[in-house]
Amino acid sequence: MADDKTTATSKRIVELATFYVGDALCGMDILKVQEINKLMQMTKVPQAPDYVVGILNLRGQIVTIIDLGLKLGLGATDLTQDPRNIIVNSAGAHVGLLVKKISDVVSADMERRELAPANMRGIQGEFFTGVYKTDTSLIGILNVDKVLSLED
Amino acid sequence: MDIEDDEILQGFIEESLEHLADIENDLLAIEEGGANTDEDLVNKVFRAAHSIKGGAGFMGLTTIQELSHAAENVLGMIRSKKLIPTPEIINVLLIASDQLQSMIEDVHNSNEVDISSHLLPLNAIADGSFSQPPPQEAPAEEVKAKVKHTENKSEPPPAGTVEKTKPVAAKPKPKPKPEPEAEPEPEPEPIALPEEDEDDEQSVDSEIHSTTTQSGRSEPAGDKNKTAGPPAKAETTLRVHVSLLDSLMNLAGELVLSRNQLLQTIGSDDLRNAEAVGQRIDLITSELQEAIMLTRMQPIGNVFSKFPRVVRDLSKKLNKTIDLNIVGKDVELDKTIIEAINDPLTHLVRNSVDHGIEKPADRKKLGKSEIGLVVLKAYHEAGQVVIEISDDGKGLDGEALAASAISKGLLTPEQAQAMSDKEKINLIFLPGFSTAKEVTDVSGRGVGMDVVKTNLDQLGGHVDIISEKGAGTTISIKLPLTLAIIPCQIIETGGERYAIPQVNLEELLRIPANQVKNRVERVGDAEVVRLRGTLLPLIRLADVIGIERTYFDHTEEEIKPDRRESNADRRGKESPLFRNPNEPDKKSQQKDEMYNRSVLDRRYSASSALNIVVVSTGAIKYGLIVDRLQDSEEIVIKPLGRHLQQCKGYAGATIMGDGRIALILDVSNLARMARLNSIDGSDRAAEVAKAAEDALRAQKDRQSLLIFKSSKTEYFAVPLNQVERIEKIKRSDIEELGGKRVMKYRGGSLSLICVDDLATVLPLADHEDLLVIVFNIAKRAIGLLAIGPIDAIEISADIDDTTISQPGIMGSIIIEQHTTMLVNVFEMAQTLFPQWFVEREKAVVETADESEPPTILIAEDSKFFRNQVKGYMTEVGYKVIEAEDGVEAWNKLHEYGDLIAMLVTDIEMPNMNGFDLTHKIRQDDKYSKLPIIALTTLASAEDMARGQAVGVNEYHIKLDKERLMVSVHDYMKRRY
Repeated sequence: MADDKTTATSKRIVELATFYVGDALCGMDILKVQEINKLMQMTKVPQAPDYVVGILNLRGQIVTIIDLGLKLGLGATDLTQDPRNIIVNSAGAHVGLLVKKISDVVSADMERRELAPANMRGIQGEFFTGVYKTDTSLIGILNVDKVLSLED
Repeated sequence: MDIEDDEILQGFIEESLEHLADIENDLLAIEEGGANTDEDLVNKVFRAAHSIKGGAGFMGLTTIQELSHAAENVLGMIRSKKLIPTPEIINVLLIASDQLQSMIEDVHNSNEVDISSHLLPLNAIADGSFSQPPPQEAPAEEVKAKVKHTENKSEPPPAGTVEKTKPVAAKPKPKPKPEPEAEPEPEPEPIALPEEDEDDEQSVDSEIHSTTTQSGRSEPAGDKNKTAGPPAKAETTLRVHVSLLDSLMNLAGELVLSRNQLLQTIGSDDLRNAEAVGQRIDLITSELQEAIMLTRMQPIGNVFSKFPRVVRDLSKKLNKTIDLNIVGKDVELDKTIIEAINDPLTHLVRNSVDHGIEKPADRKKLGKSEIGLVVLKAYHEAGQVVIEISDDGKGLDGEALAASAISKGLLTPEQAQAMSDKEKINLIFLPGFSTAKEVTDVSGRGVGMDVVKTNLDQLGGHVDIISEKGAGTTISIKLPLTLAIIPCQIIETGGERYAIPQVNLEELLRIPANQVKNRVERVGDAEVVRLRGTLLPLIRLADVIGIERTYFDHTEEEIKPDRRESNADRRGKESPLFRNPNEPDKKSQQKDEMYNRSVLDRRYSASSALNIVVVSTGAIKYGLIVDRLQDSEEIVIKPLGRHLQQCKGYAGATIMGDGRIALILDVSNLARMARLNSIDGSDRAAEVAKAAEDALRAQKDRQSLLIFKSSKTEYFAVPLNQVERIEKIKRSDIEELGGKRVMKYRGGSLSLICVDDLATVLPLADHEDLLVIVFNIAKRAIGLLAIGPIDAIEISADIDDTTISQPGIMGSIIIEQHTTMLVNVFEMAQTLFPQWFVEREKAVVETADESEPPTILIAEDSKFFRNQVKGYMTEVGYKVIEAEDGVEAWNKLHEYGDLIAMLVTDIEMPNMNGFDLTHKIRQDDKYSKLPIIALTTLASAEDMARGQAVGVNEYHIKLDKERLMVSVHDYMKRRY
């Protein structure tokens, strides 16, 4: 019985790592996040898609850094404003997401999640699985795998 | 079944597989030996079979035991000479050993395998009922039927044993081959009579094909081990020599010690010690790297060893007799490479056997030995491994290939015409190209060589075909020893570093600032550089990958934007001449400022030199212009993330010593991105070369010169066509008589002169060995003393007749960076021996006395030659009218009409050449009698014939004053 309850709770309650992309507060399942670091020296890759800021050496591994702002259509992230890299593990490889600022970790009850409004400030709704309301703010929940898929 | 202990079982499996691998080749050797079998060999096979039997019995693997027992019986009889190993018997044994192998690879299910199809013939052989010499149809049929039976059986398998039986079906003989199903094929065939197995074979064969082409590894049914034969087996475990392991262990220990030292040193801030520790770690790491690499090295024999069987089976099927020669089994390659070359090699060997070697009858007709020869050879060369597959078959027919490519629409006839034989042969690698006139099932259905090439390209390999029609084909594959770490040249462009794999690197080229203008040419939109006589297309890395052009300023140590349009461009982009008047002036002013500051200086500074990396990717060779060349480094390739897969220009990335990343360039894709594919590339280069040459030829006449020296430092030249011969003499041969130098020459005495007799140049060098260049002037021989080295060259350079002009010297010319003086031998002879010329001058004066001196029209585009010829004429009293080209000459002819007594014309002239001019003149009745003398630098028979056809009276060689004047006098005399 007790066991059942825990599983149920853990399914329902998700820890969201939240961060700002442009002015929008976004969140993703914290279990997706491998680490968050400060912008390191990146190598530009000519001919890469414009949302790829560059590649960097993460302890011997080559990680592609994607400007989440550009990818979501929220405008380029300002590299001079001390942005952060969220290194996520997606489809077996590490990818870095460049965001403007890191915010809190929020425990969100997934049952209270609401569908993303269709007109969500120009953001392509497909990248969001929904929005979550806290007392003070509205978090857009990001579908990381979708963001990093190559379909487009 | 009881399997006692996993470890023991594993040991048994490994040991047995090893035995089996040997058995196969040994059996083939026994077959070859026939009656005079090598006893040791038979013993070896016998013992192998015996130990498998023993092991299997111990492990409770009854089926394996039974089969190996049957095989052992037969071998025992061969050993005791009761049985002569015929190909049929060997075949049965081979098939049995294949079966054994497949069972051993899947021991757990081995007991359920139906081996009656193998036992039957084996036992038949053993008890003599196999009817030794001529293989009877009965057993053969039976075997065949049985084989089929097993196969069928496996299809509707009993419920619980699905997995177990399935591999069995596939297994009848996947011995060393990559394609499991391929094998069942040959087995019925040799036993049965050739005629009857036709259709059966057909069907299985097509299967072979589908599997081979799809990569031979399409069998997912958990039989990973089986599919790739011995090499694939290595995927899971690898045998490493203990001594190697020991040394690895040692190195690891050393590394740990060094780390401790390093940590200590860092703590104590002792710089000097840190350096020592750094060196130590450097050393250990390299050694460790090498040692680890060694563990991955495997002899290529692992792959080669299966080919005797492949060739044997195939040649049987095709009714050919083929010997396979294997050289260099011990050459070692990285495990991954060994595995990856398996399929391409199989394909190539099959190709050689199927398409390369002719049928015995055809070979006999051609006078070749009926036995074809295929040689597989591996050896090291320049840090790479070369594998050669050569056959003495019919070779590749470049023309046929080209024709076929044209008919398939892969090539236009024009393109084909422009291709060299080698390029034509390389067509075989084009996708969608099949060599065989009819598709045979053995090798390929038009999928093939392109796949082979792609596979090898992926390995960083390089394929080359050398083929002589009728004599055979050699395909050589160059492979890197390992894939993990590759040496690369590091370059810099746009402030980022890039790595170019050394395999692609041909050479590094730096064109100094002051030579850029001369060596880099622009033809159309293509930039090319002259490199040892060939034109090399140039690609700017910055342009291909779409970044701003930059250059590296060495004095200021920084990267600056480069705004030149082309490399040959020495000015600012906006010259005032071309400036768009509508454009705001501000911009250009701004630019001018910038040029003043940097670009103007650049013309003379080292930073404007061009750094070119000459790379080649098989067919194409091109120069990549980069900002800066750095070191060559060994790098570790790391893959790029999937978001960067669309960037075709990179093969991966690597981490440099400072922790930053450098992208690895894929030079073949860069060429493609710059639209330099192989055919276009060579086409374009050829066109460009031709255009450049034509341009040159139109500009200047070519001139053959003999180059020599008189003093040690000055270079001289005379037109080669004036030279009669060259003699080697000793200084002591020269006699000084009456103030003149002479020597004995052909029974008379030869007058000798030196360049310094007339011209103010340095005196003849004081050498013991001298050269005499003999000329024939005024019907007399004259010798010019000179010293070596002498050389005859053909050049088309500008002759400068003003700078160094003086008595005896008609001008100067730049040859190989040396200013070379052109000696006027005629003038020298005339000055030094005036008496020789008295006679003729008289003749001229006579004619001149009669009336007005005759007027001669000279048409010549080169000012130098015009002045020379004019000089000859006016000297003896003729009047001269000059014309710079054919058109002008024609006009002058009209203008002066009858006044002109003769035309002396050059052949190569702009606007209207000498032939056209002559033709035009001869068309006009008025001038049909006008004597026309054509002057040329190189009188080819062809030109002369053409000249005569249009009406040239005589041909003379430029600067051969003697003959020209004689001929002019002749015509003049006739006139009066």
